[in-house]
Amino acid sequence: MKSLLVGFLLILPLAAADDDSFLIRGATVHPVASAEIQNGSVLVQNGKIVGIGRNIAAPKGTRIVEGKGLHVYPGMIDSATEMGLSEIGAVRESVDVGEIGKFDPQLRAEIAINPSSEHIPVTRANGITSVIAMPMSAGGGGGFGRGGGGSIITGQAALVHLDGWTWEEMEIKKSAGMGMRFPIIPPPPGRFFGADFPGAKTFTESKKDYETELRELKEFFENARRYQKAKAAKEKGFQTDLKYEAMLPVLEGKEPLIVMASRERAIRDAVQFADQQKVRVIIADPRELGKMGTELKSRNIPAILGPTLALPLHEDDPYDAAYTLPDQFYKAGVKFAFGSFDNQFARDLPYQAAMAVAFGLPVDEAVKAVTLNAAQIWGVADRIGSIEEGKSADLMVTDGDPLEAKTQVKLLYIKGKTVDLDNRHKRLYEKYLNRP
Amino acid sequence: MKRLPILVLLMASALFAAPPGAIAIHNARVIPVSGPAIAKGTVVLRNGLIEAVGADVTVPADAWVIEGDGLTVYPGLIDALSTFGLPDAAPAPSGGGARGATPQPATPAPAQPAAPPARGPEDRPFTTSWLKAADLVKPTDRRLESVRAEGYTTAVTFPNHGIFAGQGAIVNLAGETSGAMVVAEGAGQYLTFTTTPGFGGGFPNSLMGVLAYVRQVYLDADHYKQAKQFYAAHSRGTPRPEFDRALEGVLESSRVLLPATRRVEVDRLLRFANELHVEALLYGLPEGYRSADLLKNAAATALVSLKWPEKAKDSDPEEPDSIRVLEVRDHAPSTPAVLARSGVRFALYSGGIDRRADLFKAVKRAIDAGLAPEDALRAMTLTPAEIYGVADRLGSIEKGKIANLVVTKGDLFVDKTEVKYVFVDGVKFEPVEEPPPAKPGAPEASNPGENQ
Repeated sequence: MKSLLVGFLLILPLAAADDDSFLIRGATVHPVASAEIQNGSVLVQNGKIVGIGRNIAAPKGTRIVEGKGLHVYPGMIDSATEMGLSEIGAVRESVDVGEIGKFDPQLRAEIAINPSSEHIPVTRANGITSVIAMPMSAGGGGGFGRGGGGSIITGQAALVHLDGWTWEEMEIKKSAGMGMRFPIIPPPPGRFFGADFPGAKTFTESKKDYETELRELKEFFENARRYQKAKAAKEKGFQTDLKYEAMLPVLEGKEPLIVMASRERAIRDAVQFADQQKVRVIIADPRELGKMGTELKSRNIPAILGPTLALPLHEDDPYDAAYTLPDQFYKAGVKFAFGSFDNQFARDLPYQAAMAVAFGLPVDEAVKAVTLNAAQIWGVADRIGSIEEGKSADLMVTDGDPLEAKTQVKLLYIKGKTVDLDNRHKRLYEKYLNRP
Repeated sequence: MKRLPILVLLMASALFAAPPGAIAIHNARVIPVSGPAIAKGTVVLRNGLIEAVGADVTVPADAWVIEGDGLTVYPGLIDALSTFGLPDAAPAPSGGGARGATPQPATPAPAQPAAPPARGPEDRPFTTSWLKAADLVKPTDRRLESVRAEGYTTAVTFPNHGIFAGQGAIVNLAGETSGAMVVAEGAGQYLTFTTTPGFGGGFPNSLMGVLAYVRQVYLDADHYKQAKQFYAAHSRGTPRPEFDRALEGVLESSRVLLPATRRVEVDRLLRFANELHVEALLYGLPEGYRSADLLKNAAATALVSLKWPEKAKDSDPEEPDSIRVLEVRDHAPSTPAVLARSGVRFALYSGGIDRRADLFKAVKRAIDAGLAPEDALRAMTLTPAEIYGVADRLGSIEKGKIANLVVTKGDLFVDKTEVKYVFVDGVKFEPVEEPPPAKPGAPEASNPGENQ
């Protein structure tokens, strides 16, 4: 009997590569929610974190991961991607990011996610364990349309783990938010020596379009409200309509609107809209804060910040306008997380945060903005985002600060399961490295 | 001497609108431009020409006399680059130039059927080099009345659609017939750097494409000329060169007008002009205030638009203008002063301004920025006449010149100055009420340079 047990233990590390119970010990643990623990341990059982601290006793037979010289962080969360919705932007067949039509709340990104996307292993190799996959305006072969595209309400964004055979296995929250592009008056295309571009709209025309879209948006919400009432009253002849059905959680305040609003005016409009409609909003991809800091803070409206490695919006802006934006949000007291707003470059999420650190953002806040803040914004702080007891064991084990480009992710766990760090980039790297 | 009566007869028949006898403006202040001002002088007009001018000229017995007390007589203003007189050509030529300028979809320039997109220079895109303003000018252009009220009596007017838009003519801004308006043709070939809007519109759709095209056309024209000469000498036994009206138009033009906005474009186009082996005039030049050295070194001639860059009326109030744009907007009116100081030959043109108040305001801005009033006047009278080679007929009040005059009460270009009379070919006009300004919000004719 005893030898049998020993034998079982011996084969355990091999046979149970996907075993979701283990103890990491002797590592520097960064729980994010609390202070770092030198020479600390993290105990994981059945995919959940069950112990964290200096001297954690593991039950007999628990697999030990020696963490000497390594750092344990919660897995990172990318708060805006098209992960699994688009493979190659230029290949139409591989793009499924959105639908035509102005109002598509019934679309669910989750069920469209391709779990075999090559982007997934690439992204998680840098320590990203979960992402928001957000539907976007159709047309143009995908890509986050910054202030363009036809759709206003683009569909339901899903929060998913970057591991699983099917989208059901990947799911963290199937409807983390409702994607929306706030109507804007686009800036004039040419600015120097005027000469309007042919077909360019005048300000008056653009303003008219904008007002039309605003009116349509309000009408849509009004219709959704009437639908809500009709449903509650069990009105005779009531017919289920997927579009309005999908709006119910938004109207009830259970699901936030993820509002793409890059300019100050759009942010102001979005805040005003949230006030009028009494809905929750998250500002996505703001490119300037302007005077909106106190407005956002007083209403507890969070933001998903886009790439920091970006050019300033206006030619007279300081060169570091994009680099310092996260710090401006931090100083204004607005909660924010980072989103890559990308697919193939989602892996650069930690460097996005790092750039903000180089331009003033405290490093702890930058780490939070890719972990715990995101979990809080998406309403899953009880499940992911930090190393705390009871949370999903989404862990990255690194040889240094994850925001540093030279840091390597040594081990990655999603729901306690060891994730293979191999990916297409690595395969290509090795292939060409070994070219005779 | 024998031929003279016949000539006079001819002239008289051509100018049947001229009033009988002579007109004398008596005892007025006369600013001849070509010489010193005459405090109390008389100008006698007859047969559309200036018969006499001076302090002690006797008034002919048959003359209608205009008592000139308190009046000032100037030569009629010349719009050095214009579309006045071409009813189809509005909006006016651009003060802008480069990238993106004047890409108006060709409002039907005469005889232009819809063509398939051009594939290359061989299709001669945006080219109507054979069009002649002298053929197209019409006395029915509704702007004529209001531009005469500005003091303009002459315009160097050009077709303005396309890259090689066509050939200009020097026209007087009144006349019973089209032919009566034309003073001289062959003012030059007007170029804009128009590109095909958007994708799929054909060649050229980039600025470099346009420049390459212009260069190619001049090379082709040179070859064409040689081929024709050879053919003329050896017609028998030589295949004939194919007739190319685009090249004919280019060869007919001894002068080319090139758009230049920014300093870098001035630099580029001065070099470019050297390659073309024709006299080149640069026009537009809102950034001329920092291009004077280049123009001076090249001994170039500049046509400066009086349509100073302004913020577009219909623009987003929350969209800030860049410092670059603001700087040009602020400094552009100093261009004439800077050019005058640097000794660059320049003329001022209206840029399409057709209200007296606006034109005077625009000139006033240049004067406020340091331009001497007499230099401003010269740049709108004698200098353009010299540039276009008609200084023997136009541009100053001298005996024998065409009787184009402006008579004002007060100094020209001063806000409250009244334009009392305008004489075109000796015919007296009393300026009428100006058209009301365009209603705010009404779509304004696109005029490059204004949208700043």
